[in-house]
Amino acid sequence: MFVQTLLTGLAIGGIYALMAVGYSLVFSILNFSNFAYGSIIMLGAYISYFAMMKLGLPLGAALALSILGAAALCYLNERLAYSPLRKRHASSLFFMISAMGTAIFLENLVYAIVGAHFYAFPEVFTKRNLSFHGVSIGVLDVFAITFSFAAIYALHYFLQKSRTGIAIRAASYDIQVCSLNGVNDKHLIGLVFCLAGGLAGISGTFLGMKYIVYPTMGWITNKAYIAAVIGGLGSLPGAVVGGILLGVTETFVSAYVSSVVRDVFSFSLLVILLMVMPTGLFGRFLEEKV
Amino acid sequence: MIGDTEASPVLAMREVTKRFGGITACKDITFDVAQGQVMGLIGPNGAGKTTAFNLITGVYGLTEGAILLEGKAITGKRPDLIVRLGIARTFQNIRLFRNLSVLDNVVIALDCHETYLLTSSFMRLPGVRRRERAIHEQAMFFLASVGLEDKAATRADAMPYGLQRKLEIARALALKPRLLLLDEPAAGMNPEESLDLARLIRTIHEQFKLTTLLIEHHMDVVMALCERIFVMNFGEKLAEGSADEIQHDPDVLKAYLGEGFKRAQHI
Amino acid sequence: MWQYVSGVISLGLIYVIATVGLAVFTGFTGLFSLGHAAFFAIGAYTAAILTYFYGFNFYVALALGGCAGGLVGFLIGYPTLKAKLRTDYFAIATLGFGEAIRVLLENLPITQGARGLPGIRGETNLPVLLVCTTLVIWMAWNLIHSRHGRACIAIREDFVAAEMMGVNIFIGRLRSLVFSAFCAGLAGGLFAHYFCFIQPSMFTSYMSTQMTAAVVAGGMGSISGPVIATLIFIGIPEALRVANIWRLVAYGLMLVLIMVFRPQGLMGYQELSLGLVKSWYRRLWKGGRA
Repeated sequence: MFVQTLLTGLAIGGIYALMAVGYSLVFSILNFSNFAYGSIIMLGAYISYFAMMKLGLPLGAALALSILGAAALCYLNERLAYSPLRKRHASSLFFMISAMGTAIFLENLVYAIVGAHFYAFPEVFTKRNLSFHGVSIGVLDVFAITFSFAAIYALHYFLQKSRTGIAIRAASYDIQVCSLNGVNDKHLIGLVFCLAGGLAGISGTFLGMKYIVYPTMGWITNKAYIAAVIGGLGSLPGAVVGGILLGVTETFVSAYVSSVVRDVFSFSLLVILLMVMPTGLFGRFLEEKV
Repeated sequence: MIGDTEASPVLAMREVTKRFGGITACKDITFDVAQGQVMGLIGPNGAGKTTAFNLITGVYGLTEGAILLEGKAITGKRPDLIVRLGIARTFQNIRLFRNLSVLDNVVIALDCHETYLLTSSFMRLPGVRRRERAIHEQAMFFLASVGLEDKAATRADAMPYGLQRKLEIARALALKPRLLLLDEPAAGMNPEESLDLARLIRTIHEQFKLTTLLIEHHMDVVMALCERIFVMNFGEKLAEGSADEIQHDPDVLKAYLGEGFKRAQHI
Repeated sequence: MWQYVSGVISLGLIYVIATVGLAVFTGFTGLFSLGHAAFFAIGAYTAAILTYFYGFNFYVALALGGCAGGLVGFLIGYPTLKAKLRTDYFAIATLGFGEAIRVLLENLPITQGARGLPGIRGETNLPVLLVCTTLVIWMAWNLIHSRHGRACIAIREDFVAAEMMGVNIFIGRLRSLVFSAFCAGLAGGLFAHYFCFIQPSMFTSYMSTQMTAAVVAGGMGSISGPVIATLIFIGIPEALRVANIWRLVAYGLMLVLIMVFRPQGLMGYQELSLGLVKSWYRRLWKGGRA
């Protein structure tokens, strides 16, 4: 039972980690919580779903389409809803309202156009479980964990080794100094949003496959905030650790206590952390833009 | 006490030290500002002058040392409490309430010493109405003392830079402080504007008899206004003395003023 | 016909009461809340339980409902504001509390859970609403034009400078939160006795969103603006018989558009007055800056 819960926790933790990394990526560069990120994740799920159902594409292609689509949407979101505010040096309140507005717009647009039906992904991985030593784990979960960590590792590699990646890391410390050193900050920001969008596509697809696709599924990104806060806002390794920790502890609460308490637990954890240890495990404390 | 003719200083800095992690922004800073005096705090950029202001106003906590206002320790108190005890400051980069009118900016400063209750506010009792009228009249008085009374209804950020600086000063005056901290009030001004400002500060000092501590890089303003000057460098004291002494101090000339420094014109 | 129109006006006034409170909180103090519907719900349930189970006088129950909202606002606000959470963490924390309250309402025996409370006495009528609305607007107006209200405005404009003007940031924000929670609670009580039936699923983020949208669209720093915006939001869709879902799409889009193009909203830092209407008239007809 213990190992089983642990494995289940790891599976969801991997997805939380992906979401938290995408969210932290934007946060670390712009010192801004993108409340619209959840709806991008949701759109990623819908894109893969329709790619598979209507276009009959295999999972790989659907995933690719979802990554590209979500990246494009995330980029557009930034260009249309945030960049005009940045030019005006608007305070963080305005950014938040704009982000909220985007989230509400996208969620309800999907609700209105596509409908409120819950969509279940077709069975890609037969409901076969791999069992060993009395413990079983779904093939989907194995695939999700592997792919999530592969994506995170790829991102890590990119950030460490490539020139653009290094520019991004520099920007997370001080984007103004970065632009003074010749980095085109507009392009950089656009790229970061594309990357975050790509991650959103992946996590959205896996969330959809693991659970179900519906317009307000984006609210699960609340878990991403919690994971990011646990690990420390602005820290990418922190986001990964936070995601896994949250996934595992949450699953244990759900298994040993009750699933209703699970959400209350996660939110209480969030509030307590924000008050007691806002820098989380690895984060830096970033002053708010006044 | 009989025979004791020396009044206690308005501000007393005692071995004030501030460390941020590995960096020591201020080390063992000790000086007094006497009643009614205008004291200058000068030094190259990064010397720790604004940090000293932030320590006095309670924005930063002290690592070591003590700060006393009229003999009473204010170390560790909340910034808004320190303001109410009688310290007002202006900012290097103007921090006006930009969307509000010029008048409202001063009114908010005057609110600092008002005490009418929240419940009275909700019901707008006659007492409140009287206080509000009085506050608005007083605000006009403070605007007049810097020459901004005809701009009362203008939005704060719609005014030219020089007038915004004056508004900052009016706001600080309206707090009715015991000690006025001016952080580079002439920043960004040309020589003519800075002399104008210096004249204004001199007039205000005479009118309100305010003890003032002034950070400034425009040496003509400093030398014209300050009776005593405290020079900082790398977070430590470099020199202290009258304006004359400082201008001839070789260490100060070398580190900051430049060997060819000449006395500024009289205002 | 009159029945229908008075119904729309009544609903509008209920929301105006809650929105005026939120206008003080978001528009005048600059804090963003994602869960004000929770205070509305608390007020609704408190008032309903008092009249339904304990036979309280309607007006007393309303007042207590408002106070319950205010009390919960105080309990939530004290730790989160004391911790000086930055604006976005605070918003996420309010989201967390909102969720917690919803779970609570769905699980307490006295609230009858998700089934809701039917059969509440229908004591809310237009005269009562007009009196309450006038009272709340009057109190809000007095607050804003007093030293306590100006402190909130200073906090919104520049909290660093506000502190340097002797404003206690924590107390100022807490006051604002408690007042807005009281208003929401009062509105909730009126709501419960108007529809005569309440259940937790009525107090969703839809309600919080609509209130926030009205404050933003009406103009931050204004009371008359959000009042007008609320009446428009309730009135026009009714007139056009627009379905709920598209209403939300419009709200979301509107929030973003306002942030990008006209962040001061309709009224923006001004109140409706004869002078203002005259200047609009001059601008429209004479085609120049008045």
